[in-house]
Amino acid sequence: MSGDIGRAALDAQLLAWMAEPWQDDDSRFESTARAVFSHQFAHCTPYQRFCRGRGVTPDSIENWDEIPAVPVGAFKELTLHSFPSESEHHVFRTSGTSSEARGELHLDTLALYEASLLPSFERFVLAGLPGRARLCVLAPSPAEVPDSSLSHMFGVVLAAHGDEASGFFVKEGELQLPALLAALECAGPVALCGTAFSFVHLLDSLAARDQRLELPTGSRVMETGGFKGRSRELARDDLYGSLEARLGVGAESIVNQYGMTELGSQFYDTTLHEPGAPRRKLGPPWTRVRIIDPQTGASCAPGETGAIVLHDLANTGSVAAIQTADLGRAIEDGFEVIGREPGAEARGCSIALDEMLERR
Amino acid sequence: MSAGAVRDALAAVRAAGHRLRERDPEEILDALGDVLETWRDPDSAVRRALARELPSATGFSEAVVERGLTLALEPWTRDAFRELWRQEAGPGATGFGTTSVLLAGAIPMPTLLALLAPLALRSGVIARAASRDRVTARHVAASLRERDAGLADALALVEFETHDRDALDAFLGTKCVVATGSDETVAAVAHRARGHVVSRGHRLSVAVLGETADLAAAAGSLALDVALWDQLGCLSPVALYSLGGRNRAQQAASALAAALASIEKTLPRGVVPTGAAATIAHERSDAELRSASAGEVGLHAGDHWTVVAERDDRPRSAPLHRFVRVHPVPDMPALAGALAPYSRHLAAIGCAGVELPGDYGASRVCALGEMQAPPLSWRQDGIGVLAPLICT
Repeated sequence: MSGDIGRAALDAQLLAWMAEPWQDDDSRFESTARAVFSHQFAHCTPYQRFCRGRGVTPDSIENWDEIPAVPVGAFKELTLHSFPSESEHHVFRTSGTSSEARGELHLDTLALYEASLLPSFERFVLAGLPGRARLCVLAPSPAEVPDSSLSHMFGVVLAAHGDEASGFFVKEGELQLPALLAALECAGPVALCGTAFSFVHLLDSLAARDQRLELPTGSRVMETGGFKGRSRELARDDLYGSLEARLGVGAESIVNQYGMTELGSQFYDTTLHEPGAPRRKLGPPWTRVRIIDPQTGASCAPGETGAIVLHDLANTGSVAAIQTADLGRAIEDGFEVIGREPGAEARGCSIALDEMLERR
Repeated sequence: MSAGAVRDALAAVRAAGHRLRERDPEEILDALGDVLETWRDPDSAVRRALARELPSATGFSEAVVERGLTLALEPWTRDAFRELWRQEAGPGATGFGTTSVLLAGAIPMPTLLALLAPLALRSGVIARAASRDRVTARHVAASLRERDAGLADALALVEFETHDRDALDAFLGTKCVVATGSDETVAAVAHRARGHVVSRGHRLSVAVLGETADLAAAAGSLALDVALWDQLGCLSPVALYSLGGRNRAQQAASALAAALASIEKTLPRGVVPTGAAATIAHERSDAELRSASAGEVGLHAGDHWTVVAERDDRPRSAPLHRFVRVHPVPDMPALAGALAPYSRHLAAIGCAGVELPGDYGASRVCALGEMQAPPLSWRQDGIGVLAPLICT
């Protein structure tokens, strides 16, 4: 019988795991995943009904990969949490326009979220930097956008690892270029982090001034997200080429983060952590990624393209298993994100021209 | 193909177009009419070749290709083409010296018409085949060559890499460009093109079911409209609006599910790309979860089709490949409100058991079961086929 050990015990187990040195442990993941599933099955009624509809209960599963995953889009219109509504403490929302629904992650505590993000960031982005370093963030501060999980993440990282001149360099949607350039005047290596579109704004601003920077040796860039109509779009290779040309940071020192508001943990490129090894994404030990055949639900063979399903045990307060519409493929012990099928409503019978003009 | 080769091809069709304009328009219409008649004949060599080659090139099943071509080409007669010319062009009408045509999608009829239309106006045509259908345009060229060498000389098919901006600019260096795609893409083409641009932006179609329509019959007809071309055409209905409330909509969803399951046996679905399959899986799960959360949402799913009985008329994503949402709408004003967000993008509305008081922005309103067989005279996008290509 798979019983619910209760939220406090679950969170305590996970917080302890997150405080330990990084170590993958399949058996620990298995037992914790089952415990999290039991709790969420018991306390998130829509999820329980969803699982029952598929004939799955905590007692029926033999492995964590049988735990049903909820579609990420459901967070746009359902409140999926595994705690009493009156305990709600914080809500993170996905970016979006006022006319479109935004996904929401409801939290009763930020403790797990904050504890989960740091080990990954330290391992994959800050590798080789001193305990406190110059961290420049191309995103608004959490004070300006309290419902942004990304800004909150950067706030936690800055508090833990930023030096006195580190900070946020986007205010009210505007890049604070003079202040950023001053902060980048640093003797030691710099970590420049932000959304992909904010880097485009930075590159365009530097181009307008015909300015090229040469960031100190050991500097790195962390970028995340897409462009979403907020800047001109650049293929990732083009973005990285431009970053190298304008900032002096090569692709081997650029890390892409794969994350989403609906998750408590993030996944990062291994380029800084394992220089020279194939670029792939890894997450912390309390996460697992499955690449599945979307038509059968079966796991894809390594290298085969499929849909990405994420299991993030840091999501104790909502649902840990998330089904995305993103495509990816497994590479060694990690994975690569390939992208997403364009929105169907934007297709009609006019596909080829879009293909023709799309940037690669 | 390099930018230089594209320019060479353009120069050749420009010269051939010039020769076309010295010919009797009636003679050209006769030739094009003959080509259409050949395409209508299921036993013709070109039809046999299309039936043989299109499935592997486009991913559609053989049965869908055969049935889709037969149904759609049936009204495209020689006489219908002449009537189209009389209505939209007439004596003395000519196209631009040259016309660039960017072919889109995987459905053969739009390609056929997009290539014949400028030729009817004695314009040279340079065209780039769609990546999902490199077959149809080639066979149009071959049919022309067989019937009329002068017309064939006036059509050049070019291929170049999508990122080759020089080749693209050479391709767009005509007096007239026919551009289909997203609104953003069409705008991007218009920005790069130097001549007259005929825009064919996003389009989708929907179905409307009256309160008293026979459910089984309507569902069978709608299933045909959905199954043909696997919902990948602008005339493919992506949603059904059922007048009369939720119970009626749920019944309609059940009937449609049964009809799609049945039609799968004779018109099997084709290949679904992994990305589309991922979207379908996601949207199925989404419907499951919404049903589990609040009820009133029904998911009917087979191996190759999906019907979601929605609880309201809120627009939702359309994964295509035989994925239909059924929305309840209590009355006509509610229907008008539900269709309003689509109005700029509506191509057609298929109806059963209902007289619509207006077209809601659609350029075609027809009976269910006929959505995939528009007449040549359909004024697509409200601008027609030949009229926008005429040089005034």
